[in-house]
Amino acid sequence: MLSIPAERFTLDNGLRVNLSHDPTTPVVAVNLWYGVGSRNERVGKTGFAHLFEHMMFQGSRHVPKGGHFDLIQRAGGSLNATTWFDRTNYFETVPSHHLELALWLESDRMGWMLPAMTQEKLDNQRDVVMNERRQRYDNQPYGDWDEWIQAMVFPETHPYHHTVIGSMEDIEAATLEDVADFFGIYYVPNNAVLTVCGDFTRDDAIKLIERHFMDIPRGADIPPIPGDTELSATIGSTVRECVEAEVPLPRVLMAFRIPPYSDPSFYAADVASAVLGTGRASRLYRSLVRERREAKDVTSMAFPLTSGAGMLILWATGFPGADPEALEAALSREVEALGTVRDEEIDRAVALTETAWVREIEQVGQRADLLSMFDQLFDDPGRINSEIERMRDVSPKDVAAFSEDFLGTNNRAVLTYVPADSGVVAGGSP
Amino acid sequence: MSSSGRASAPAPGPIRSFDFPRVRREVLDNGLQLRCVGVPRLPVVTVSLVLDAGECNVDDSHAGLAVLTGDSLEGGTAVRSGVALAEALEGIGAGLSVGTGWDSTAIALSCMADRLDEAMELLAEVVLQPTFPTDEVERIRGQRLAAIKQGRMDPASIATYASRAATYSDGAPYGRPLGGTEESVSSLGSDSAAGFVEARYRPGGAGLVVVGDVDIDHVKSLAEGSFGNWSGDAPRVDGIGAEPRTTARRMVVVHRPDAVQSEIRIGHVGQPRSTPDYFPLLVLNVILGGAFTSRLNMNLREKHGFTYGVRSQFAFRRGPGPWTISTAVGTEVTADAVREALSEVETLVADGPTDEEVEAARDYIAGIFPLRLETTTQIASRIAELLIYDLPDDYHSDYRDRVRSVTRDQVAEAARRCIRPDETTVVIGGDAERVRSPLEALGWAPLEIESAP
Repeated sequence: MLSIPAERFTLDNGLRVNLSHDPTTPVVAVNLWYGVGSRNERVGKTGFAHLFEHMMFQGSRHVPKGGHFDLIQRAGGSLNATTWFDRTNYFETVPSHHLELALWLESDRMGWMLPAMTQEKLDNQRDVVMNERRQRYDNQPYGDWDEWIQAMVFPETHPYHHTVIGSMEDIEAATLEDVADFFGIYYVPNNAVLTVCGDFTRDDAIKLIERHFMDIPRGADIPPIPGDTELSATIGSTVRECVEAEVPLPRVLMAFRIPPYSDPSFYAADVASAVLGTGRASRLYRSLVRERREAKDVTSMAFPLTSGAGMLILWATGFPGADPEALEAALSREVEALGTVRDEEIDRAVALTETAWVREIEQVGQRADLLSMFDQLFDDPGRINSEIERMRDVSPKDVAAFSEDFLGTNNRAVLTYVPADSGVVAGGSP
Repeated sequence: MSSSGRASAPAPGPIRSFDFPRVRREVLDNGLQLRCVGVPRLPVVTVSLVLDAGECNVDDSHAGLAVLTGDSLEGGTAVRSGVALAEALEGIGAGLSVGTGWDSTAIALSCMADRLDEAMELLAEVVLQPTFPTDEVERIRGQRLAAIKQGRMDPASIATYASRAATYSDGAPYGRPLGGTEESVSSLGSDSAAGFVEARYRPGGAGLVVVGDVDIDHVKSLAEGSFGNWSGDAPRVDGIGAEPRTTARRMVVVHRPDAVQSEIRIGHVGQPRSTPDYFPLLVLNVILGGAFTSRLNMNLREKHGFTYGVRSQFAFRRGPGPWTISTAVGTEVTADAVREALSEVETLVADGPTDEEVEAARDYIAGIFPLRLETTTQIASRIAELLIYDLPDDYHSDYRDRVRSVTRDQVAEAARRCIRPDETTVVIGGDAERVRSPLEALGWAPLEIESAP
């Protein structure tokens, strides 16, 4: 069991704060989780949460455009931000004597971002984001897979039906008014968690956090997520799409609607995913890749989502000329065999996950991010220390029950990519 | 604090010193270099065996052999099958990772510190007693060939390979793909892998790096127990051929019909790791395209919105690796992006950087140094770098001082010496029909058009 410390308090404006002290290296991480992501986007505004994240680096009242990067890099720090379904995170790791700089920059954009916004900056970042979409989705073999899968796993009324990157049309249509509205609703201290992790003095850190964040006014309560987050536990059938595309090798993706991260049975899903696809002793690698040579590569991942449901995704890439139906049958075979799992398989999956987990939290930045996450999602940052135990508690019976309930043919989305001109008939549109 | 009281960036607090962790240095009787660092922060350890066994050690007809050999280690050992090996390693939470480059093969694993004894034994078994079963090597070769096929349809890989081939003359290893070609890989098998191990997986020339929550004396006795009976040398191969294909300007379009973006690569033969200009070039690269705030990124991304990002890099290897600018831009702005990138290069070489830029870049490189040494894996790869490139043991303790002593004139001189705009090759992977005329209108070099592989 790990013993990462976490001291919590809340400012009067609703900002939740975690302090986690570790003086072993003279570096400190500042991490902010805002409880807003693509799930909060309305019809016609897909991709906006992510575009907004870009705008957060375009300056604020006391920081010029590019100033955030300039000042942090000059201090010898690293920084970035990411947007996801349920949240947007912003983070800096700096040499510890620059803690106040990172806090000042984050607080300036939390409190005073709008005075720095201009049409020119928005036009520029819209172009950047459209190029990001082209580079990562449109000009990339299999790059649009999540657009298809999310649309198949989640109904049109559900906030996970659309992707984080959003559609080109919606990105193009974003206005300065959208920026101001989004900021006013979601970028408020009562919708954020701030974590400081690493080398600092407790009293100094508290004084600096109060100095820079205390005067930012609390916002209104956060409006409910648009659309309908209530949904049935399963998809209800096997839905299929086949895409003929400029891809070199056939690939079959199989996705399942699973319980959300907040549900205790999510851990059975996580263990099932690791038994199937983590490491070279995993079932998919051993069977499809090593022994039967049905696939060139295999992947498995359980998405820890919070709004109504999550998803588990498997994929297998075939060798040139492989029959996609045979690939799908191979994935089905291994999914259906999960009714019988040995203790040693779970031990192996947990051991690999534990090593990966500890290696991840070696970095104060990652540690801070997980503390923010556990605070935001579970109201309990201390969960960073018990997460692996929750996986360890999963039994073969739990995995069997999970697979019985969630991995059947009544709950599958199957997406097949076939190389263009391969003779396989394809159809459909995302 | 009110808005008016926060008008300028706060001053830094008192600086805390940072020292590179103490490295214990030993040499085993068989020549194996042992480097060990105790990092007691978390109960984890990383072990990395670095072998003088890279793709530069194989000729063109065997290109991809070092990579295939490394990948095929998972096929099994004299003690257990591939399946049993994976179960043994992963049962103690250790995933084996093999990284093959031009200069070395690094076989590494990380695990909880209390599993180190078992992990070290398994690592030795993998390296000293691989069996390369024919069916396993054939399987892994099939995966390699499929991966090569994938790379030929990946826009970024297409442009990078075309750029490397255009940069180096025939016979120079850096001109070919690291993992080899379909032709060369097809000719490789179990015997070639075994032969490569026989020749290059040797303690003389190799290093074992152990970093984590460990007792250093115990690590030494573990290493002696596991690797003590290994013998032989992998003699260093000197003089890696790296002749440029041309010293004239070239512009090549690799035609990908209907591409929505153009992948751009601009570059020429760069410098070896041993260059005396190493530190000035680090600073130069941050200014040109090695950081978000670089001239290239501020122009192509933050001013013009042509791209999601642009990077420049000197690939420092034992021989002179390539100097390259890489970016992906919208098809309709391809020629504009090429013009702006070339203009930034020409201006920087002609005028040199400003004092302010040099100071900021030095601060960044020196400041970021401890941030890149948080994990056992990061520390282990920094130490491995010393072994591969024959750098002195005290290299890291002097590192930040050497960065901070770089002057503006040194950077300007290094730029003039090491970047030659008139010897540059520009490769564009994109829709030739649409980018052709605007590129020709630049008048920079005659346009050559190739079809995608």
